[in-house]
Amino acid sequence: MNPILVLGAGPAGLSAAAETAALGAPTILVERESYLGGNPKRWHYSLLAPDLRPSDEVLGPLIAKVEGNPNVTLRRSTTVSRAERLERGYRVTLTTGAAQETQEVSAVVLATGFDHFDSHRKFEYGYGRYPDVLDFKELEGMIHDDKVLRPSDGKPPRRIAWILCVGSRDLQVGNPWCCRMGCAVSIKQAVEIRQKHPEIDAYVYYMDIRTYGLWEDLYWKSMQEYGVKFIRGRIGQVTLAEGGSRLLATGEDTILRRPTEVPFDMIVLASGMEPGTGTKEAAALFGVPVGPEGFLTPTLSDLNPVDSGLPGVFLAGAATGPKAIPDSVTEGMGAALRAYQYARR
Amino acid sequence: MTIVAHLPHRARTLSEEEAAAPPSMELTGRRPIAPEERGLAETIYTEFRADPRHREFVLGCLNCGECTTGCPAARFYDFSPREMLQIAENGDATTLWDAIQEKIWACCQCYTCNMRCRFGNDIAGIISVMRELSVRHGVASTRATLAPFGRSLTLLMTVGTQVSSDMIQPDFFRDWGPFATGSDRAWGVGADVMRRAIPSDVLQTTRSSWEVSVQTSLELFRIYEETGVLDMLRGLDPDLTEMLIDIIEERREEFEEARARFRDELEGMRGPVATFRG
Repeated sequence: MNPILVLGAGPAGLSAAAETAALGAPTILVERESYLGGNPKRWHYSLLAPDLRPSDEVLGPLIAKVEGNPNVTLRRSTTVSRAERLERGYRVTLTTGAAQETQEVSAVVLATGFDHFDSHRKFEYGYGRYPDVLDFKELEGMIHDDKVLRPSDGKPPRRIAWILCVGSRDLQVGNPWCCRMGCAVSIKQAVEIRQKHPEIDAYVYYMDIRTYGLWEDLYWKSMQEYGVKFIRGRIGQVTLAEGGSRLLATGEDTILRRPTEVPFDMIVLASGMEPGTGTKEAAALFGVPVGPEGFLTPTLSDLNPVDSGLPGVFLAGAATGPKAIPDSVTEGMGAALRAYQYARR
Repeated sequence: MTIVAHLPHRARTLSEEEAAAPPSMELTGRRPIAPEERGLAETIYTEFRADPRHREFVLGCLNCGECTTGCPAARFYDFSPREMLQIAENGDATTLWDAIQEKIWACCQCYTCNMRCRFGNDIAGIISVMRELSVRHGVASTRATLAPFGRSLTLLMTVGTQVSSDMIQPDFFRDWGPFATGSDRAWGVGADVMRRAIPSDVLQTTRSSWEVSVQTSLELFRIYEETGVLDMLRGLDPDLTEMLIDIIEERREEFEEARARFRDELEGMRGPVATFRG
């Protein structure tokens, strides 16, 4: 049997490769970056919602399943530059630096994931202009290293605001979808900071809180136990206040129906999810249909959530839309099974 | 005052007539419509909902408040574009009537709300539809609101601009107008120097916008006539409308005379002109 190709080593790809290997299929796991773990690793995610487990504790075992696995060939810093459909399977060209290698594979799992929305595009929040306006993926790293300090002067903040739905649910930037993660991750960050530094006030500005399903518990506890404040309404612009030493967030409190202007030491933007670079490339390379949002579309999102409709090409994780890590891991397992069935036929 | 919603346990507190009426937003502090105004309010509401622009401008609302955040009027008045959109989307005759009395005139039509709106609503546009209806129907409060602007309106509709270069007194407006040369302290150079940095086609457009041409104002008035703006204005102020028509008629005659003179002169010079290319 020709090996099964898994593209992308984030949670979905790691999970898929671990399962095809466990079924006894030779597996090639291709990852563009030099490390395994995808976005959680790239941005040094701290605790993962909803169980608040350290990301290393979640990703570690997944990585351990593929590293040193005799059935898995790991190809880091590698991309697929060509794909040619065969009678059965594909002939792909793997590119590592200047080196190229052609390989026949029996089936493909695309786990090419998402990219965070580039917060520069919402210019009214001053991201990139004011150092104390952060993207929440950057705050993740700070929390992970327990160094939550203002980038401008290195001092600890007294009051932090989170702005949800930055680059999500927003036709101005062409992204009308919900990222599903922003609420939970922002609330989790506020809880983590309040746990360690109860002297820091945490405010979350929201349109709707979408801590869906059992994650609602996190939302309730953030108020009950950690005193996180929730204000309904969006911040429309961020400017400087107090001689430039603080940030001024202007918005409307839509419940009290009045304008608000609050000075903050740090403002954190919950940037949304967009189709990843690898996802766009894979769509072009294999001819997988994409939806209006640019994510890969499975044939039937309910019955065949991991089938691309193309023979031997299967989909997993955030390549098909914003997704949490548990869902990505589950889809990786499903795609592995479908790829294995196809390869064995 | 009617009960805001038809809750089962409140059914006893509603009269039969009230129970049959659609849910009202009246409890949120709006004043009721006077009985003699009820008919007009209902007509305006019906026309507002039937206007094809309503469907095009009002798409839905996440109630995020970003429109109000950027709104210059909201900083100074009890006015919120978000509220206007809510009224446009979910309001009834009473709430629309209330909004028409004062609030719609707080909007400065800068369209910042449209730029901010993540749902793609045309909020400033739907407010201008509300204004249009209140003018068309000559709502008493609208007359009172717009009365002080008669002079501006006359100039706008007969000249096309409120201020033209021949009205500028150089002593008072040194930095104004196409030929101003006054030096600007912030920039350290005169306006004539600054002007050299402007692309010549842009400068030409800017210059020509200062020029008041009879032909342009006649064409503009033609547009007002044919698009129904004049009829709309007649509802608000018939006297002003008649005066505008008089002014324009006079200009039209002058223009036709000048044109005839011009044609005669041309004929005298070169023989008959077959067609006049205006």
